[in-house]
Amino acid sequence: MKVETNDLKQIRFFEKYTDEQLRTIAGISSIREFKVKEIIFEQYDELSEVFVLLSGSLSLGISLPKDKRIHLGTITEGQLFSWSAVFQPYISTAWVMAITPARVIAIDAKKLNAEIEMDCDFGFKTMSKIAQTISQRLSDTRFQLMNQLSL
Amino acid sequence: MASDTNNIYKPLQATLEEVIEESPLIKTFVLIPDEEFVFKTGQFIELAVDGVGEAPFTPSSSPLVSDRLEVTVMKTGYVTGIMHELKPGAHMGIRGPYGRGYPVSEFRGKEVLILGGGCGLAPIRSLLFALEHMKDDLEKVILCYGSKTPADCIYKPLFSRLNSIDKFEAYRTVDVTDDDWDGPVGVATALLDQVKVKIENSVAVVCGPPIMMKFGTIRLLEMGYRDDQIYLSMEKNMSCGLGKCGHCMMGEFFVCKDGPVFTYREIKHNPEIWK
Repeated sequence: MKVETNDLKQIRFFEKYTDEQLRTIAGISSIREFKVKEIIFEQYDELSEVFVLLSGSLSLGISLPKDKRIHLGTITEGQLFSWSAVFQPYISTAWVMAITPARVIAIDAKKLNAEIEMDCDFGFKTMSKIAQTISQRLSDTRFQLMNQLSL
Repeated sequence: MASDTNNIYKPLQATLEEVIEESPLIKTFVLIPDEEFVFKTGQFIELAVDGVGEAPFTPSSSPLVSDRLEVTVMKTGYVTGIMHELKPGAHMGIRGPYGRGYPVSEFRGKEVLILGGGCGLAPIRSLLFALEHMKDDLEKVILCYGSKTPADCIYKPLFSRLNSIDKFEAYRTVDVTDDDWDGPVGVATALLDQVKVKIENSVAVVCGPPIMMKFGTIRLLEMGYRDDQIYLSMEKNMSCGLGKCGHCMMGEFFVCKDGPVFTYREIKHNPEIWK
């Protein structure tokens, strides 16, 4: 399904982009729908798309031996996930599963990286947003770790 | 020797009317004091078991009710262990109220964002009652609360009740899920990504375990809150409640007398605040 610029304007993640930059993103994106319990990607999958959640909610976690899954967090509307698709080795660090019917924007990661290299302003905004996401996850992980260690 | 009426250490007697089991380790004690007991939300009391000892708690009930007091107690040691064994009809002692509570009158016209974790919801519940009473003067009240597991969440009916009140929103998350839980998973601070607040016209209140308070404060600062917009309820080892014994000292402050509620600006220079 095609992405319209207006779809992107509704999403917090894209709020600082210009109309032209939003058109660029719309041009390299598509909308995907996922059913409840559908896996969007597994941990250690090779990733080619960056996702932003449009509606619904997703669970993010890691896998343990014997097919055990640990839920670490919930992705809510407007949040980015699958950031590993932008950085080598393009391997996911977690799995993501739909816990309600979900609609996501899937951005072609190779084309996104090409735009990041070509347009400095676009690249800075995008990398800042991705860095914020990673920083937030790291902070949450430290918090969880300290909770578990009961420090 | 001082007479009984002047004895600042003599507790007010109260009868335990009901014990509510909130979670495996947390119970709420509903007390009927022998005399009217008035407190401000966020102030704390010393709750005593005769012949055993006393411990500090912030009441979880409405500050507008003076003939009934609710105190939520987590079983953590000797005194709280004995408290958890008490049955309705038992007698308990109340000293206080002590300290400085939440400056709710300063919240008028504002959005109030509350971040709570674990047993920290007890003082927050009292604050929520006060805010509900003045909701016509508030823009919005948002509660973000996290517990370790779904079973550890206290006051479960509170969340649906808050979501049914105009201007109130309540969100819950758990660190570790179980088969019955279909809500958000993750730390309490992650809930802050979902909320929409006008930060310039908002105050934030944080109460919970020290780790949560530290990460919560960092996240609020990242969101754009100023240090004087963040209120922290510092639950230290309060003992006398009078600023005499020094058990609760945090830098230049006696938490029992100068707090337990502080703005982050007041205490941020102190390296011991998250300990």
